[in-house]
Amino acid sequence: MGLELRLAWRNVWRNPRRTGLTIAATVFAVFLVVFFVAMSAGVHEKMIEDSVRVHSGHLTVTGEGYLENKTLEYGMRWGDPLLEALESDPAVTGIAPRVTGFGLLSKTAKAQGVMVMGVDPAREGTVSTLPDRIQEGRFLTGETPRGIVLGSRLAKNLGALPGDELLLYSVAYSLEMAYELFTVVGVMRLPEPALDRRFAAIRLTDAQEFFVYGDLVTEVALLTSSAEAAAPLAQRLRDELPQPRARPLAVHTWNEVMPDLEQLLLLDDAQMYITLAILVIVVAFGILNTILMAVLERTRELGVMLALGFRPAAIFRLVYLESLMLAAVGLGIGLALAIPAVFWFEAHPIWIESEAMAGMVEMFGMEPVMTWKFKITNPIGSAATILGIASLAALYPAWKASRARPVDALRAI
Amino acid sequence: MGDRPVGFQNVWLLLSSAGALGTDRTIWRLAFRNVFRNFRRTAIVTAAIAVGVGGTLLTMALNFGLMVQMVDTAIATDLGHVQVHGAGFDRDPSLDVRMRAAERVGREVIGEAPGVRAWAPRIRSEALVFSPRASAGVTLIGVDPKREAEVSSIAASLTAGQYLGETKRRVLLGEKLARRLGVAVGGKLVVSAQDTSGDMTGEAFRVGGLFRTASTAVDEGVIYLWLHEASAMLGLDDEISEFALLASDRTVADPLRDALVAELGDGFEVRTWGELQPLLVYMIEMFESMGWIIYAVVFVAMTFGIANVLLMSVHERIREIGIVMAIGMRPSRVVAMVLAEGVMLSALGLAFGLLATAGLLWVFRDGIDLSVWEAGLSAYGIGNRIVPVVRPGDLMAPVVATILTAFAASLWPALRAARIAPADAVRRV
Repeated sequence: MGLELRLAWRNVWRNPRRTGLTIAATVFAVFLVVFFVAMSAGVHEKMIEDSVRVHSGHLTVTGEGYLENKTLEYGMRWGDPLLEALESDPAVTGIAPRVTGFGLLSKTAKAQGVMVMGVDPAREGTVSTLPDRIQEGRFLTGETPRGIVLGSRLAKNLGALPGDELLLYSVAYSLEMAYELFTVVGVMRLPEPALDRRFAAIRLTDAQEFFVYGDLVTEVALLTSSAEAAAPLAQRLRDELPQPRARPLAVHTWNEVMPDLEQLLLLDDAQMYITLAILVIVVAFGILNTILMAVLERTRELGVMLALGFRPAAIFRLVYLESLMLAAVGLGIGLALAIPAVFWFEAHPIWIESEAMAGMVEMFGMEPVMTWKFKITNPIGSAATILGIASLAALYPAWKASRARPVDALRAI
Repeated sequence: MGDRPVGFQNVWLLLSSAGALGTDRTIWRLAFRNVFRNFRRTAIVTAAIAVGVGGTLLTMALNFGLMVQMVDTAIATDLGHVQVHGAGFDRDPSLDVRMRAAERVGREVIGEAPGVRAWAPRIRSEALVFSPRASAGVTLIGVDPKREAEVSSIAASLTAGQYLGETKRRVLLGEKLARRLGVAVGGKLVVSAQDTSGDMTGEAFRVGGLFRTASTAVDEGVIYLWLHEASAMLGLDDEISEFALLASDRTVADPLRDALVAELGDGFEVRTWGELQPLLVYMIEMFESMGWIIYAVVFVAMTFGIANVLLMSVHERIREIGIVMAIGMRPSRVVAMVLAEGVMLSALGLAFGLLATAGLLWVFRDGIDLSVWEAGLSAYGIGNRIVPVVRPGDLMAPVVATILTAFAASLWPALRAARIAPADAVRRV
């Protein structure tokens, strides 16, 4: 085996130019694969985190049926037993109870349909970034009743400024008409334009009063350490949460609450992997060609080796080792270049300057920033792909080399 | 044959070889034979180029198909090619901005504008709709059912019930919204909105029909009703918010807008689909620049492969090249020969790549079914079936890129070949 390794290594460097070119192509491919996979991981994670910190949290606890219908009918009781049960799980890092309803918000002659979210001012910040998104005025506080915070585009469309009084008009849980005057206390900027145009927040207690909702809420949003940690936590909560008698509780992960986001990410990934697959195939042909040429020009030499008693299996292994070594050198250099690059970009995200690009990215609910994320699965996956494709490419040349008959081979030039 | 840095000499060699390429047919014949000298090697590199060209073209075609569909769906759902509003609607898209004398303007100006295929008047207002079970904030759109059916796809997207007809007080809404409100066809809804004098009005309607479009925003947030009923409810008098127009296709939206601006004058805002939804335009631009990145990446990878093959081809012919140079072939013609070989190799790969693309396009001529991603797609207004679209311009890119790649890849091997010293070369085995 030691001999084969030494032979293979020497053969790799027999034609340094050819080997250099093939390695350069491999380095190029490895670098791009690692770099783009890391970029996609970073951008996707950012999209998920940005979205969960506006909408749903990593997990949403609701009354069963709420997610499908999103009406007040499917409320759940919010009180100390549930709060204590949630707080007792160490993986839960944020808890925000909410009442989400719909209404018409009007200022003099202008009216706009809105989603009104009743939030607990003290708890909301533990899950969402809503309190940090204030541009003008301030966020809701526990003391001042009937304050309302508007999305910036909503405020603009209504022509509302902090201090203005708005009439909120909707249908209560009791199915009676509900009217109430609210005072604008702040304006916040939400990343998603569609949401920014229709979103208003009031205090949870005001919402419960307005919708005649008692101590019910429509959902409790939870934050945990990461998107990946959501599924196991959801499973645990499903088993452990105290189930009320009336309507059972349902625990949803972010991807159940936002299936469109998850699918968009999958589609985006599919597209990237297709492109990378094309790249890797092109490079694989390069490796195949190099190894095949290296075998063909050595027909005579291989024949001599066979005649001297080398087993065909040993020749097969030799050529195979050459191919893997070739790929491994490219892989090593590629990873050595790509991993630091990924770490550098992870520490220095790029803000998108172009207004057009930024607008587009915002439409998908994300801040206009490109981020990278290093995951250990990325270089491992890339290494497995390159080595796997190299072993596929080596199959034909190695088989061809081992099949040579010494007599014919010796006669070849 | 030591390596020397690229210098004036090489530039001169390349320039004079360009002359040989243009005038000497022998060069091309030699190159052609050399390409097929090692069939296996040529086949492999050709396959690599074909996969690169074909894969990139198909990816681009699918991307572009996705874009085209997104734009066309948006246009067909409710955008139209051009919309006309009262001046100031862009800043304040509310009932405050209205166009008066809608009947006359529609008939005499909008309908007569050159290139208009169909047009429809609309009233838009924010409204609250509630059922016995729930309520939702929506955009209320009052339409002329006959004209609307010519402009938008709502009439064609009905999945239950009937389109707006003779029966009074009917509304159309998306299936998703109906499910949320817990109503079916024939169910009762109260639509409540603020009229022009600032008072809340509410009127009862029945669900006439349900629709499902490719856009979640429309399916969850829009209700349609008769123009005159919306007008009465909101206290309007021959006033509307919007004219939606269809031209023969979306590329002629700009001239149509210009004609309307000239005809209507001040007091109106005329905007094309691209101005109304700039994000769609950005998206197309972004996908196009992404396509170029893909080309660049794949073609750089191909360059390595082609260069390697040519280098091998030169390397194993050192003796032969040495001999032809010894009997008087000029270095510039040796360069030309290797360049021609590179171009032929690439052209061969290109031809196979284009052939493969054509075959795949034929296979996918009815589109690729992406319904597994329906929720993700419809949230952004894309249908389930993506038909790849190749424009003539898309074919130019791989052709130009392949030729550039071929030259870039052949440069080094060609110059190396020209520097072979005949005396050394003929002595080699």
